[in-house]
Amino acid sequence: MATRFDHDDDSVVVIIGSGAGGGTLANALAKKGINSVVLEAGKRYQMNDIENDEWEMFKKISWLDERITAGPRQLTETFPGLPAWIVKGVGGSTIHWAGVSLRFQPHEFKWHSEVGDIAGANLLDWPISYEELEPYYVKAERHMGVTGESTGMPYHQWNNNFKVLAAGAERVGYKQLRSGPMAINTEAYDDRARCMQAGFCMQGCRFGAKWSTMYTDIPRAEASGYCEVRPRSMALKIEHDDQGRATAVVYADGDGNQHRQRARAVCVAGNSIESPRLLLNSHSAMFPDGLANSSGQVGRNYMTHATSCIFGVMPKPVHMHRGTTFAGIISDEARLDPSRGFVGGYTLEVMSLGVPFFAKFMDPTNAGWGREITTALDKYDHLSGVWICGEDLPVETNGITLHDTKKDQHGLPVPVVYKGDHPNDEKLRRHGEQQARRCYEAAGAERIFKVPDFPTSHNVGTNRMSAKAQDGVVNQWGQTHDIDNLFISDGSQFTSSGAENPTLTIVALALRQADHIAERMQRQEL
Amino acid sequence: MTHSSEAQPISRRRFLSLSGQGALLAGVAIGTGSLWPRWAQAEPDLAAGLLRMGRDIYPHDAIEDTHYLTPLEPLLESRRALIADGLADLDRRAHEAHGRRYADIEQEADRAALLREIEDGDFFQTVRGTLVVGLYDNPALWEPHFGYEGASWQQGGYLHRGFDDLTVDWL
Repeated sequence: MATRFDHDDDSVVVIIGSGAGGGTLANALAKKGINSVVLEAGKRYQMNDIENDEWEMFKKISWLDERITAGPRQLTETFPGLPAWIVKGVGGSTIHWAGVSLRFQPHEFKWHSEVGDIAGANLLDWPISYEELEPYYVKAERHMGVTGESTGMPYHQWNNNFKVLAAGAERVGYKQLRSGPMAINTEAYDDRARCMQAGFCMQGCRFGAKWSTMYTDIPRAEASGYCEVRPRSMALKIEHDDQGRATAVVYADGDGNQHRQRARAVCVAGNSIESPRLLLNSHSAMFPDGLANSSGQVGRNYMTHATSCIFGVMPKPVHMHRGTTFAGIISDEARLDPSRGFVGGYTLEVMSLGVPFFAKFMDPTNAGWGREITTALDKYDHLSGVWICGEDLPVETNGITLHDTKKDQHGLPVPVVYKGDHPNDEKLRRHGEQQARRCYEAAGAERIFKVPDFPTSHNVGTNRMSAKAQDGVVNQWGQTHDIDNLFISDGSQFTSSGAENPTLTIVALALRQADHIAERMQRQEL
Repeated sequence: MTHSSEAQPISRRRFLSLSGQGALLAGVAIGTGSLWPRWAQAEPDLAAGLLRMGRDIYPHDAIEDTHYLTPLEPLLESRRALIADGLADLDRRAHEAHGRRYADIEQEADRAALLREIEDGDFFQTVRGTLVVGLYDNPALWEPHFGYEGASWQQGGYLHRGFDDLTVDWL
């Protein structure tokens, strides 16, 4: 019998979101015997809902509620209503991610100390160091089943796509080539099957080889008896008392009926768009600019990674679609080296798309048609692709605001997602594109081309960590500076974006936050 | 923007009646020898213009007409005025520039130049947006034409089907 908590039960922690941050946190709290209610806006999916079909799964799992793409970027024209490609469902974007599990590097936690002020950027050091987080990286890797040292699981065999990129990269002189670390099992681990190299990692892993809270943390938290998950429950507002402590979350169920769940503490993990949106929508007489926003930093410093995508047409068939989607990682350029003309680094990650997505994303601008497109498509089986995952600097004006007049199905203002490039991002991207081209040239590519940006899945910032209350939204535990029992538990708390995919760091922070919440509860502070 | 008053929406029923038993894919060879669906044979002008346009937007010489016509056909029901007016406008531009209808212009580059003039418009992007999914999300074309093998979980993924079988020997 599944656990049910009363709406008036104010002993529960209310967690908003069930992805990498919220799902991990719910399970970690459950292991400590702490009760939680998880409010998830999306519905619950079963394993047999997962199809190896790009458009079907896109339509099925994506967050498609109205959002407005804004800013001086091509995405504003090509995807005006889809600024980010993330998941609405139990498990959140851990259904859709590709398993790349890189740790941030020590210097990435203290960018401001390393490089000083940069005009136009809102750089800040994280209030935690790599050394403080390292034990939680190890825990996160074991928890998720990441290939490599922490688990002892071997890396994946290099798939064809990575073999091609790696052949070129080695000729260019790159040394740090790996087919991992990945949170995708290479052998049975933690009651999950091994990877069958199906591809379609971003559509969901039908075998459950990839870590996802959809079938790990969430069902385990529920099975413990300490957690209730309420799917199709969209959080609308966080309420507080006269002392300024969070007391309840108002949410709408799948039929649009509103409920109020009382709470001992509230943890927000709705991704970098919905999390600040909820805080901004929770304004009150005491907090007129939104909850936890005395700094004015809620919704600001939105980062997506400076990205680009390069494909090479190779002399012989590659069949890039076979095997894990992001099958290999090159880290040589992830270093701190301002001599390249920019601060921050990037990883080169081999990637693949199926024919339906490739056709759509190869050039989604109005001009993206004609023989230039179709001659590449005719060579689909000869293609190899690489994605640049680069440090994106925090810019204060990049962020989430509420639209003046447009309302969503719940009557809440829709979010406007504004993003422009810092000049550093542009330089980094150009460097990455040039290096990716060099790799494919060295591998003998007959043709090399760049794909315009598509909606990112990496969203960080907007509720950032800071040592001082006036610089950011949360402290080193993800606890908001302004409200003692209100936490941010997702990637929105990132102070910088790193040159690495964010999920492992989100999970490490969630595990660490769970320990902190439990200790404070033991001390009767929460 | 003007709309032709003659362009009436055509009902699904009429399409079905035009196509006999509703077998839209059934067709006979006409014209250049392509297999055309019956609806297209019943409306050759609209079909020819739309097909020519589809083939110019995403030209794959080895792909049969029917794979272009089938996904575009619903537009003649759902967006008929847009399509009829758009093709009429395209023909007007073609007459001005080349003295003949768009579909009758011989050089692909000449046709493409006309399409570039209208590529930001609703008509062009509607046809293109329909085709980018209709043509490339068609499993019948994946493996035969593109070498894309699609869904793999039913066969145990690609683990034993060549995910790492490549020898990079072309360097």
